[in-house]
Amino acid sequence: MVVDPQQEELRLSELTRESEGGHYEGGAAVNQTSLWRDAVRRFAHNKAALIAMAAFILMLLYVVIVPWVVPYDPNAVNFDEAYISPTWAHPFGTDEFGRDLFLRTALGGRISIGIGFAATFFIMVVGVLYGAFSGFVGGMTDNALMRFLDALYGLPYLPFAIITLAIFGTVNFWTMVVALTIASWFTTARVMRGQIITLKENDYVRAAHAIGARRHRVLFRHLLPNTLGVAIVFVFLELPGVVLGEAFLSFLGLGINPPNASWGSLAQDGYTQYLSHPYIIVIPSVAIAWLILSAFFIADGLRDALDPRTQAAA
Amino acid sequence: MALLEVENLKTYFTSRRGDVHAVDGVSFAVERGKTLGIVGESGCGKSVTALSIMGLLAQNARIVGGHVRFDGRDLTKLSERELEDVRGRQIAMIFQDPMTSLNPTLTIGLQMTETMRRHLDMSKQDARRRAIELLEEVRIPNARQRLEDYPHRYSGGMRQRVMIAIALSCNPKLLIADEPTTALDVTVQAGILDLLDDLRVEHQMSMIIITHDMGVVAESADDIAVMYAGQIVEHTNAEELFDHPEHPYTEALLGALPQLEDESGREGRLTAIPGRPPDLVGLPDACRFAPRCPYANRNDGCAAHNPELREIRPGHLVRSAHPASERMTTAVTA
Repeated sequence: MVVDPQQEELRLSELTRESEGGHYEGGAAVNQTSLWRDAVRRFAHNKAALIAMAAFILMLLYVVIVPWVVPYDPNAVNFDEAYISPTWAHPFGTDEFGRDLFLRTALGGRISIGIGFAATFFIMVVGVLYGAFSGFVGGMTDNALMRFLDALYGLPYLPFAIITLAIFGTVNFWTMVVALTIASWFTTARVMRGQIITLKENDYVRAAHAIGARRHRVLFRHLLPNTLGVAIVFVFLELPGVVLGEAFLSFLGLGINPPNASWGSLAQDGYTQYLSHPYIIVIPSVAIAWLILSAFFIADGLRDALDPRTQAAA
Repeated sequence: MALLEVENLKTYFTSRRGDVHAVDGVSFAVERGKTLGIVGESGCGKSVTALSIMGLLAQNARIVGGHVRFDGRDLTKLSERELEDVRGRQIAMIFQDPMTSLNPTLTIGLQMTETMRRHLDMSKQDARRRAIELLEEVRIPNARQRLEDYPHRYSGGMRQRVMIAIALSCNPKLLIADEPTTALDVTVQAGILDLLDDLRVEHQMSMIIITHDMGVVAESADDIAVMYAGQIVEHTNAEELFDHPEHPYTEALLGALPQLEDESGREGRLTAIPGRPPDLVGLPDACRFAPRCPYANRNDGCAAHNPELREIRPGHLVRSAHPASERMTTAVTA
C-alpha cells in the first residue's frame, strides 16, 4: 500500500491533537489542586481554627488601629481621672495615674506581640538552621551539637533569659527579643533535626546526591522546602510561648520599663490593687490568654491542614 | 582499557554484631558501549556495589579495600567534592522507585534543569530547551507544558522516564540502573527497558543494570555477573550464561524463572531455592552457597574453604566446586 505523505501527516497531527486534548480534558476532570489549596480547604473546615484565626486577627487589628484613633495621651498623668471603671469614654477604664487602659493595652499589645513575632522569627531562623545542619551532617557532629542542646535544655528557661538580659545591661525591645530567642530556640532545633533526618532517607535526596548536587543545595533546595509545613505550625506554637515569657519577665519587673508598657507590666500594675480595682489586672491577662489560645488553636488547625495524616488522631 | 574497572572491592557496614561484609571482593569491568547486568537476590550486595562506585554509601558503610577505576581515575581516592563533579556528569544513576525519586516540592522542569545547570554551565533558557528535548526523547507527550507540573501529576512509568531523562541530560559515560523496572507494572517494564537500550546506543553509553529479575538482563545485558552473599559467583556473557549456566545458584535462579509452557518443556510449579542466604557477619571460610547447594557434601571441601573464582571456559568465570560441566564428567567417569 502506498501511503500518501500528506494524508499521513494529517493523520499524525490528528493523533497528536487528540492526545493533547485528552491531556487537557484529563487535567480539567481531575480538578487541579495544589497542596496549598488543599490545606486552605481543610483549614476552612476546622471551625475552632477559623474562630481562633478571627480572634487572632481581631487582636492584631485592635493593637494596630486603636492607638491611631483614640485621642488620649498614653503617658499623661491626670489624677482627676484615676481609677475610672470601664465606661464608654474609657472602655477598659483608667489606672492610678488616670491613663486610658484601652489605649495602653493596645500599645502594650504592640510591644508584646511585636516581641513575640520578632523572637519567633529569630527562633525559627536559629532553630531551623541549627537543627537542619545537625540532622543533615549526622554522625559525630550531630551528636556533639545535640548534646550541647541537651545541656542548654537542662538550664531553666526564665533564669536563662534573665541572665541574658543582665549581660546586656539594658532592657529594651531588641534585648528582650534576643533574650527570649536564646532561651527558647531548642525545641524548634530538635524538631527540625528530626524532620531532616527522616527526610534525608528519601530516595529523592539520594537522587539529588546522585546528580552531583552540592551538599548545601541538597539541604536548602531539596530538604528544607519539605519542612515548610512543620515550620509554619511551629511559628504558631512558639509565638504563645514567647509572648508568655515576655509577659512573665515584665510582670516580675524584669521586662519593659515604664512609662512604656507591655501586657506583662500592665498586669503588674494591676497586681497590687486586684481587690479594689480588679479590671486593671484582668484586662491584660485576658489579652494574653486571648492571643495564646488563638495561636494554639491556629497551630492545631494548621497541623491538621498541612499534614492530613495526623487528622485521625484529632 | 575498559571504561569502568572494579577490582577486589570490599564494602563493609558497621553493625553492633560486627562488620557486615556486604560486598566482599568484587571485581568486574564494563567496556565502553556495553551493558553489564548484575543479578542476585535481595541483600546480595548488588546495590551496595553500585553505591560504592558512586560514593553514595550510608554513613555506617565504608569501602575497606579495592579500587574503582573509572576512565583512568580511582574513584575511591577522590574527595567528596571531586566525586560530586563526577556524579550526574560522568556517571548517572537511576533508582528503583520512581514514585519517591522525584522531590514532591519541586517542578519536573526544575529537577530536570538542575543537573544541567550544575554540570554544564548552561543558561536557564538553554537548560529548559534541552529539558523539553529530553522529555520528548523519553516520549513524554506535551513536554513543554508538562515541565511546569509537579511530580504527583506523573504516573510511575512517566516518572521513571523523567528519571532517565535527568540521568541522560549531561551525556554521562556510564549509566547505573538499580532495579529500574522493579516498581513498575509489567506492561510498563518492557517499554522502559527498550527505551533504556535505545538511548544507551544513541548516547553511546555503557550501562550497569542491577536486578533480581533474570528476564530483565536477558533482554538488555551483554555480560552478566551473578552475585551471592557479597561475591560474584558467576560471570560471563549473557548468551553463555543462559545456555550453559555453571554455578548451582545460577541454575536455581534460572529454574525459578517463569516461562511459557511450550518454550522449555518444563512443567508444573516453579522451583524455589531452599534455605536463606547466609548472615554476612563473621562468615566462615566456606563456600557461601554450600548450605543451599544440592551438590555440596561433606568430603569435597565445600565447608572447608570458599572456592576461588576460576575460568572454567574462556570468558566464563565461576566460583563453585560443582559447576554443571564438571558434574557431568564426574558422573560419566563414575
